[in-house]
Amino acid sequence: MSVPLSELTDDSGPENIDSWDSFNGLLLVDELESKFNITFSLEEVVDVKSISDIKRHLVNHGVSFE
Amino acid sequence: MTLNEFMKKSSVLEPQNYEKQIKVALLSSFTLKGLLETISVKCSNLNIGCNKFEGGYNQFSQEILDLDSNYHKFKADLTFLAIDTRTLLGELFFSPYEISDEERRIFIEKKVNEINNLIHTCQLHSNSKIIIFNCKVPIYSPYGINETKQQYGLQEMICDFNNKLLKISLNNPSVFIYDFQGFISKFGDKNIFDYRQFFFGDIQIKFDYILELADELIRYVIPIMGLNRKCIVLDLDNTLWGGIIGEDNFSGIKLGTKYPGNAFVEFQNHLLALHNRGIILAINSKNNPEDALKVLREHPDMVLREKNFACIKINWKDKASNLREIAQEINIGLESLIFFDDDPINCEFIKKALPMVKTINLPKDPSFYSQILMDLSDFNLFQITKEDQLRGKMYYEEHQRDDLKKQVISLDEFLSELNIKIKIRDVNDFTIPRISQLTLKTNQFNLTTNRYQEEKIKEYKNSENFIVGSAEVQDKFGNNGITGSFIIKKIDSKIWEIDTFLLSCRVMGRKVEQALMSYIINKAKNESVEKVYAKYIPTQKNQPCSNFLNDFGFEKDNDNWVFFSEKPFKFPKNIELI
Repeated sequence: MSVPLSELTDDSGPENIDSWDSFNGLLLVDELESKFNITFSLEEVVDVKSISDIKRHLVNHGVSFE
Repeated sequence: MTLNEFMKKSSVLEPQNYEKQIKVALLSSFTLKGLLETISVKCSNLNIGCNKFEGGYNQFSQEILDLDSNYHKFKADLTFLAIDTRTLLGELFFSPYEISDEERRIFIEKKVNEINNLIHTCQLHSNSKIIIFNCKVPIYSPYGINETKQQYGLQEMICDFNNKLLKISLNNPSVFIYDFQGFISKFGDKNIFDYRQFFFGDIQIKFDYILELADELIRYVIPIMGLNRKCIVLDLDNTLWGGIIGEDNFSGIKLGTKYPGNAFVEFQNHLLALHNRGIILAINSKNNPEDALKVLREHPDMVLREKNFACIKINWKDKASNLREIAQEINIGLESLIFFDDDPINCEFIKKALPMVKTINLPKDPSFYSQILMDLSDFNLFQITKEDQLRGKMYYEEHQRDDLKKQVISLDEFLSELNIKIKIRDVNDFTIPRISQLTLKTNQFNLTTNRYQEEKIKEYKNSENFIVGSAEVQDKFGNNGITGSFIIKKIDSKIWEIDTFLLSCRVMGRKVEQALMSYIINKAKNESVEKVYAKYIPTQKNQPCSNFLNDFGFEKDNDNWVFFSEKPFKFPKNIELI
């Protein structure tokens, strides 16, 4: 989505980032799934309004944030 | 690289900075986001700037039927039209058995007519090549194993639709059918389709396979931009046979029905098939000529023989010099060559010395050779003509002409021995592809180097203000096919201008150009035209015809050359017009 890391907060989401549309969202899901070797359910994919939601789903799949 | 990375790379590309540019439009009934972006990055890797247009979601009909649409304003060179099976069938997708089989036939007929109408409208207002995706044949049916027992059932409907699409494209040189069903078959529907992506955003192709699809569609860009290659140059040892002839000897090399010999036989069979459709083959090998030629001539399991090769370089010189000589002797540019060699050091050397040659380093296991050859996209052409198919035979006949030349003393004697006959005719529907092909690829004997796709030649053919002609050249050794062409613009009843005048390099140096120009001047005289204008536009490659107009008797008139039709001119003796 070409947004610099420094600008992202836990509240960043499709509502407040222009380049975050549904297609880019799926690209992100694809990257996360292959990077962490997990598979999200469609329910989880749809339940994303912000970065904190993403972190929550990742934690549910065993990914930790140190 | 992932789709994400392709999209990032695509967003920073600026097509206008490229010397060669192409306009590609995508009109689809389902989400294919990422496809054009990937294609544009692949184009940039080939030094082509790709201007993209993506039609609105499922707006393909509107984009084509509304003449003021953004699609028509875009003026594409290449248009991809992708309609998915669901959209095509509409309500019938889940259960087409609610209606009778007769009604199903009528439905498909109606759909084919809709597509025909779209193509027709598109072609009336655009010169774009139209590439239509055929439809994925559903692999699931509620009838299960009984599906194939149904009269004109779900699967037969789509197969029939696809067949009818093929018929449309057979009659229309600007329309091509992309075998999307074949693509699904190649990679597997189970791999490509993911219900989650489909429900989320009507995405019917997983991202990794969008990349594969882009690779397939690049095959249409290659010929439009003239990037197709014409000649495969081959090493011999461990390329056409297993082992090294100089060390393993005639009976020791691997070629035959057992592995690894059978892998090399398979490779040769694929090469022969390409040769038969017009791709030139040549040999570039470090060996004693007698040893290698013996295999070529006498080994019972060789598929390729001496006569299949337009040029054979078997010596101890460096392979780059050989490649240069091959290009020169065949009279094509180095950028038209693909070179296969199993030795990585040779390949590295050639890649550095001749980067415009596409060098393929074959792996150790010959099992892979055929697939590597089949995966190449460099040989794709929009039209394959009779001349293409006879090309291999023509090179062999050319060698025989060369042999005669060596025997004869003067050029005149040589020409009279050749018994050259030229058939000059106005363009017709059959010769349009060959004439277009000549304008696109002829560089040396080409006065103005105007490049014309088939659609433009057809326009000129149908115009009263243009004359388009072709020249078929035969001699005692054989028929060269159509190797000359001209386009004349009628400025008014007294003045003509030669827009295009060209000769294939294969028939240069035999006064064919004089005969062709004489024909034109004669025609002008017969129609009471007083002046024929011509231009010579110099390029890097057309030095060979720089003096032609002057030598024929044209006079300089500022930037132009003019021939007053009253002036006498000489039709070359030794040439007969038939």
